[in-house]
Amino acid sequence: MDVDIKGKMTFRGGAHPPQNKKLTKDKPILPGPAVKQVAVMLSQHIGAPCKSMVQKNDIVAAGQRIGESDAYVSAAVHSPVNGKVKEIALRSHPVHGRSMAIVIDVDAETNAPEKPDLISSENVDLDRYSSEQICDVVSQAGLVGMGGAGFPTRVKIEPNPRLPKKVLIINGCECEPYITCDYRLMIERADQVITGIELAKKASGCERVFIGIEDNKPKAIEAMADMLKKTPARQNIKIVPLKTKYPQGGERQLIKAVLGKDIPTGAIPPMVGVVVLNVATASAITEAVISNKPLTHRVVTVTGQSIANPGNFYVPIGTSVGDMIEFCGGVTQKSAKVVMGGPMMGIAIADLETPITKTSGAITLLTKEQIGRAKYKSHKTACIHCGRCLDVCPEHLNPTVLAHAVRKNLFDVAQQYYISACMECGCCSYVCPANIELTGHIKTGKIYLARENKRMPK
Amino acid sequence: MLKKITVSCSPHISKHMSTRSIMIDVIIALAPAMLAACYYFRNRAVIILATCIVSALVTEWGCNRLQKKPNSLGDFSAVVTAIILALSLPPAIPFWVAIIGSVFAIAIGKMVFGGLGANVFNPAMVARAFLTASFGAMMTTFSVPAPIDLAMPKISAVNTTVVTQATPLAWSKQAVKKQNDISVVNEQLKATITGNVGGCLGETSTIALLIGGLYLLIRKTINYLIPFSVIASAVLFALIFYWIDPQIYMLPVMHLTTGGMLMCAFFIATDPVTAPLTNRGKAIFGVGIGAMIMLIRNVGEYPEGVMYAILLMNALSPLIDRLCKRVPQGGKPNA
Repeated sequence: MDVDIKGKMTFRGGAHPPQNKKLTKDKPILPGPAVKQVAVMLSQHIGAPCKSMVQKNDIVAAGQRIGESDAYVSAAVHSPVNGKVKEIALRSHPVHGRSMAIVIDVDAETNAPEKPDLISSENVDLDRYSSEQICDVVSQAGLVGMGGAGFPTRVKIEPNPRLPKKVLIINGCECEPYITCDYRLMIERADQVITGIELAKKASGCERVFIGIEDNKPKAIEAMADMLKKTPARQNIKIVPLKTKYPQGGERQLIKAVLGKDIPTGAIPPMVGVVVLNVATASAITEAVISNKPLTHRVVTVTGQSIANPGNFYVPIGTSVGDMIEFCGGVTQKSAKVVMGGPMMGIAIADLETPITKTSGAITLLTKEQIGRAKYKSHKTACIHCGRCLDVCPEHLNPTVLAHAVRKNLFDVAQQYYISACMECGCCSYVCPANIELTGHIKTGKIYLARENKRMPK
Repeated sequence: MLKKITVSCSPHISKHMSTRSIMIDVIIALAPAMLAACYYFRNRAVIILATCIVSALVTEWGCNRLQKKPNSLGDFSAVVTAIILALSLPPAIPFWVAIIGSVFAIAIGKMVFGGLGANVFNPAMVARAFLTASFGAMMTTFSVPAPIDLAMPKISAVNTTVVTQATPLAWSKQAVKKQNDISVVNEQLKATITGNVGGCLGETSTIALLIGGLYLLIRKTINYLIPFSVIASAVLFALIFYWIDPQIYMLPVMHLTTGGMLMCAFFIATDPVTAPLTNRGKAIFGVGIGAMIMLIRNVGEYPEGVMYAILLMNALSPLIDRLCKRVPQGGKPNA
């Protein structure tokens, strides 16, 4: 081990929510349940939603493309299973409320839940692939950023002559409490992840590569470092242990920690020549390019103190949350919230039929105790201007003023205090002693402003 | 068991902290000063503390009823206000004056603005200013602590029934000019550090206030910026005055240990409601308070400047906040 595990680099602000990762961090990735039905959302990414390419009662095969869009910023969707299209109908979407999905009845005979083969780098000749080829395959496979936002990967890695890409940063922070899917990937499939990193490097033309991992994951750092050491060609990839702090895995925070560089407000990383990819995305790039397998499955952590058998599972995208909970043995005690994602940025869902999308890394069940009684009852008290939210804000904003402005409908004030720079990490609400939903108010304000500027339908 | 699930916006967890826990921390931090007051001023301290707390709570309850608001006694902010007010009253004050003070603090200082979080001025200081204006003589008559060793000269008592003594600050205004003897200074310093001098109930014992202040800093209940900037700027300005003429002006260390300086730095100026939000604002606020205290003490008519320094800077704090707008991490957007 020549990597110093103790992370020194970090960003300004941030909070330390309890990690709770021990529930699932030693659970290896297992095949998911044998589902009867999947619902593949037509919009699982940032950008234009897909149009369905199939009709009701069509027979679809696993890996078949079933939705696509002509828009540049979009990503195709594929059927994860063999089966028959039951309907194309509205389903609950974790982010968009309700949106169109292709519901597929699974053909039970030809589908067994399986764990895909580990892709080894031994027989892979990177020189076989050109940059355009990799970008094409990534686009064909419908790859999106699997860390949460779901930005189409092709748009991220495709070389742009006007904004040459110089640095590739791989996000292995996984700073959200509870979630362990990326952690398990790094331990179990380090080779596959690193192959994906090399492919992404080749496609984007980046010269330098860093892998940022929080220092509460020494095993992942070790596994990745060992894998890097084996091959001389991989020596130029550097692992950067980072301080354990939420939201270390935020794109801007990660860049700040690794490169010491700030992304100008309102800009995106490519403008300063940086590409950030999640480790799960890197792993999916390998699957797409080497095995020609589109993005139809992903690793999902099902966790929470109230779930009988928490764990990490490799499941078809479109599996419903209810199926996953049932597969994990159901709940042992009363749960108050079912969250898609982690407790800090995840979305509480109302409908257990909600399907897993390309971006959902976890299903977290929270009991009243974990939420905290005051928060559960949303027992708000007056703001005492203590300034704790200002101290934790990683974007160095003024959440107090923003939230008050939105509450009083003073959107011009909110804009003067840079409301659009907020990345909704939730640190301000987390530390607020008065239990004010600062993040919620700011989100509301952002939506109002987007509507006012006609960037979002009503 | 998954029939009733709640939907709300993220984050779904929160730090186990509440306004009440912050206020309880402050009360714990004030405990050493309260104990010191009870030790030096015996039953006078107990009576004043008790009347202030009880009348503040009753007033808050009454105001809530009148304003048809939910009961807010549970946040303990009224108790903190009452303790700070009680500790900044002279020991010989009649209990009914203390009652008027706490009623004024809660009703006019806080509730008319809309309750906790909405007040512009520190309620305890508002009440103290009101009492100083209404009962000037009583507010400047300081009785001798019970275990006192009279190191300082007595001045004539206004109220003849209590033995009174000048506070070190008042004394300095009259006497330090003539005798700036180092032994006297040492004697004085020893007395002010333990608290064995005349003065307001809670302001005499430097050591008790320091313990409380350190507790708040270690628990991170208060932002370190305000106490540091208050003390640093007070010392700086005291030094400037001392360099100008050591015959007239007190040593900076004496300024720190006397009057309400530490009480102000750790407990009054740090009141989050009336202090600026941003860190830069907090530093400016603290520096302003330190400078105002020194100006009032050394140049103004009053021996003590904490109260007016706080009120003045409270009035300025929204302005300071407006001037100290935070720049986002990525710099100002070029719109």
